[in-house]
Amino acid sequence: MLFFRSEELVNAWCQARGIRPRPLVTMAQLWELAVAWYATRLSPEARRPGPDEMRRIFARVGLNDPFWDPQADTFG
Amino acid sequence: MDFDTNIRLAVYQHFASTGQAPSLAQVAAQLTSSEQDVRLGYARLRANRVLLLEPDGETIRMAPPFSGVPTPHTVEAGRQTYFANCAWDALGIPAALHQPAVVYSSCGQSGAPLNLQVRPGGPEPSPWLFHCQVPAARWWVDLVFT
Repeated sequence: MLFFRSEELVNAWCQARGIRPRPLVTMAQLWELAVAWYATRLSPEARRPGPDEMRRIFARVGLNDPFWDPQADTFG
Repeated sequence: MDFDTNIRLAVYQHFASTGQAPSLAQVAAQLTSSEQDVRLGYARLRANRVLLLEPDGETIRMAPPFSGVPTPHTVEAGRQTYFANCAWDALGIPAALHQPAVVYSSCGQSGAPLNLQVRPGGPEPSPWLFHCQVPAARWWVDLVFT
């Protein structure tokens, strides 16, 4: 899980490794994911999102690709 | 609270206050418990994907978003420096701490430095992108690689 300055640099990174580019995430989307995962991590009630909740979180921030499905088996 | 919740809170509070992983002895002392009981609790927390442990079963490699080892993703918040496990967790640390922070990382391809101000409402506008090679269903197969 890395940061990149541009889509072109993501593509170059993937090409150098012989892998296909995955869905890109903006910094605003990444912040929403970070909050969903970690905002309560220091509290007694904290817990990791389950599969259904993960799907809802990804969909809410606009990440609907099956790549983000926590139970998908269609990606290598 | 149950014992495992107390362990988790002790681990996370130690990370938040020091930027480093606590030792098994430190957690046991804080909970006035035996190291063996804490070690067994660690194993349960690993099974529940709360902690990632080194093979010795007592050294904490990850308590996401915190890393127990130095990484290229650092976060400064308050007077503390933290290591994040990955780009996602670099934003996860200010989200967990609810504090303004600065994220320091770099572009995975060019090496250009990233210096990102994060306020309680989120990061400053930035054209940078996040890319994850591993599908979500496989993140915990090898979390260090992910």
